[in-house]
Amino acid sequence: MKSITRSLPALAALLASVALPGLANATVTVLGWPGGSEETALRATVEAYNAKAGISDADKVQLLFFNRDGFFDKLQADMAAGSDAFDVNLVATYSIGRYAPYMEPVELGSDAAKVFGESVLKTMQFDGKQYGVPTDLSLHFMYYRKDLIDALMKDEAAKKAYGEIAQKYLGKELQPKDPDSWTWDDWAATALYFSKQANSASPVRYGTVLQMKNLLFNMMVFQSLPRSYGGNWMDKDGKITVDSDAYKTGLELYKKLYDAGASPKDSLSYEYAETNAAYGSGQAATALQWNAAAADLTNAEKSPAVAGVTGIVAPPAGPDGRADHIHGLGLGLNKNAKNKEGATKFLKWLASEDAALLYAKSGGSPALSPEVVAKVASERPDLVKLGEFASKYGYVMNGATSANALSVYELQAKEFTGYWAGQQGLDDALAHVKTGMQDLLKK
Amino acid sequence: MAIVKRAEGRAYLAPLVVFLLLFLGFPALVNLIYSVSTVNFENLRSPSLSGLGNYASVLVDREFWQAVSFSMRFGILTALAECLIGLFLAIFLAPLLAKRSFLMAPLMLPLMVAPAMIGLMYRLVLHEFAGPVPYYLFLWFGDSPAFLDINNAFRTLIVVETLQWTPFAFLLFYMAYVAIPLDVREAAALDGAPWFKILWWIELPLMLPTLVIAFFIRFIDGFRVFDNVYALTGSGAGGSTTSLSIYIYQAFFKEGAIGKAVAASVMLFVASLAVLYGLNWLAGRRRT
Repeated sequence: MKSITRSLPALAALLASVALPGLANATVTVLGWPGGSEETALRATVEAYNAKAGISDADKVQLLFFNRDGFFDKLQADMAAGSDAFDVNLVATYSIGRYAPYMEPVELGSDAAKVFGESVLKTMQFDGKQYGVPTDLSLHFMYYRKDLIDALMKDEAAKKAYGEIAQKYLGKELQPKDPDSWTWDDWAATALYFSKQANSASPVRYGTVLQMKNLLFNMMVFQSLPRSYGGNWMDKDGKITVDSDAYKTGLELYKKLYDAGASPKDSLSYEYAETNAAYGSGQAATALQWNAAAADLTNAEKSPAVAGVTGIVAPPAGPDGRADHIHGLGLGLNKNAKNKEGATKFLKWLASEDAALLYAKSGGSPALSPEVVAKVASERPDLVKLGEFASKYGYVMNGATSANALSVYELQAKEFTGYWAGQQGLDDALAHVKTGMQDLLKK
Repeated sequence: MAIVKRAEGRAYLAPLVVFLLLFLGFPALVNLIYSVSTVNFENLRSPSLSGLGNYASVLVDREFWQAVSFSMRFGILTALAECLIGLFLAIFLAPLLAKRSFLMAPLMLPLMVAPAMIGLMYRLVLHEFAGPVPYYLFLWFGDSPAFLDINNAFRTLIVVETLQWTPFAFLLFYMAYVAIPLDVREAAALDGAPWFKILWWIELPLMLPTLVIAFFIRFIDGFRVFDNVYALTGSGAGGSTTSLSIYIYQAFFKEGAIGKAVAASVMLFVASLAVLYGLNWLAGRRRT
């Protein structure tokens, strides 16, 4: 009995030595967007925040990441289950309505409007309340090889070959143009001209890189094509219009380019990372890719083959002009956060000019007000384009902010990739999508 | 006199029973309730009972049967390939391993890697612009196949799975092979039996239980494949590489059809149980 009495305090001391450091290290846990420039930028920003004077150990930030695949589904499951594993979570424009019941609005202060502008703050608002700090604005750039296009424009024989290829594959007489005035047909003709399969004299293997994996984010990249032809998910009366000529034109053009060998053979398994690797290898003439890739593709250390010769323009035009899918990513407060005070403190700092500039310099893509973006324009010229393209060409499909928007993208990804892979016809794919969307978007 | 009294026996068993009830019984019960309920993320804690509709919707779902077909073909082909290659390696390498047993360690290495990591690794290895395999194929032959396109994805997945799990079959077969008493082989050799007759009539029959068990274990593992397939091709173009596990995952998370997903998982559970009972029956029949 005596030995037990003696050993109890020792056991308690042992347990305390294990438990107390855990309590002392109570932190703000932030669940971020994994695997891209957003993660790199967030890591650098959090490191700076933790090093700031006046940030207590209890308010230091630690980061949590999991895979992009199914991210929003897993997040919904966690939040619906009342998880307190993170204090701050990622939220996107297209999913705020889905997560708002599990989050708390945050008061960012008046300076936030000066840093981001009211319109950008609105990308993180739901029912008039601010649910997050807008960290990244996402849209698409058309990346192209300036050296290849310049050489094409100067070479009369090449122009003739270009015209013949356009006639053969697209049935149209086209001539090379400056990328900033491309229509989708011009882009397609260029992609075909620079593909070995269509033109054995091409200096590169492929004319473009299409992201065709069965993945919802790839549908966001694709949709600017039908949108510029007047496509939309549904009309103002709520009738699903996805089976329009605009969608048919866009889907057929992708398939035509893939079948003609203008995009890598494995394009049906390509997403963001594969596209960067393909374009960055110097073996593709163009790529429609997320703006977040600009930091890597124009960095001589990361993409030595293309960094010095990459031009950036907005996506090509259709009969309705240019269109560029736009959405915002941000960070907001979990309703079940263990450390709400610390989390709010971090979010307010994240909305400050210093934090936004640091985030931008570290590779993130915040949409900043003209006065603020001017301070990083020399280091991040793409951020200037980001603001310009968003204001001129940015769009959101009707229904794309509904609670089931992500499920609509998933459905389209499955059916459209099935068409591109030759598993089903175009009309069948569109009919399946229409039926599914009617169910998902019904009021 | 009983060595352990009945009450003591119960006390010893109690922790195991509590463990099973908590970690198997409770989830199984929740699954059964969800499978006959209308349930989504908003009403997880208060599902409403709706009968067998979820089972019916699974059974009439064309994609469910496509997933079953994918999993069945994948399970059978990978189990066959792993067992045949594993058996060949076990017999072929047995003399070498008897003298150099340390070679077992590198042969077992693929088993140490998480399947999801294997998927990610091959996503890199097979990438046309970043992977070594297409690089050398282009260098030597001027072209490289599309390993993950609609025509080749299934074959690529089979090869990746086989490369990772053949060592498992090999290990089982090697242990069974070296456990065969030497005097049996020597007696046959003295009687003038050639090596292939010894293999066919003596060694393989003695290894048969291990062969059967290994095949079924690998079949079950292949049938319920998720990680490496999901990391490598996702559900594939048009859902072409959707295994049953991926089907359940998608129904649960992507469609939010929790009842349907759980109904499909209950059916998978029952099918797995049937296979295990079949194995047990086979083993029992052999003993008698």
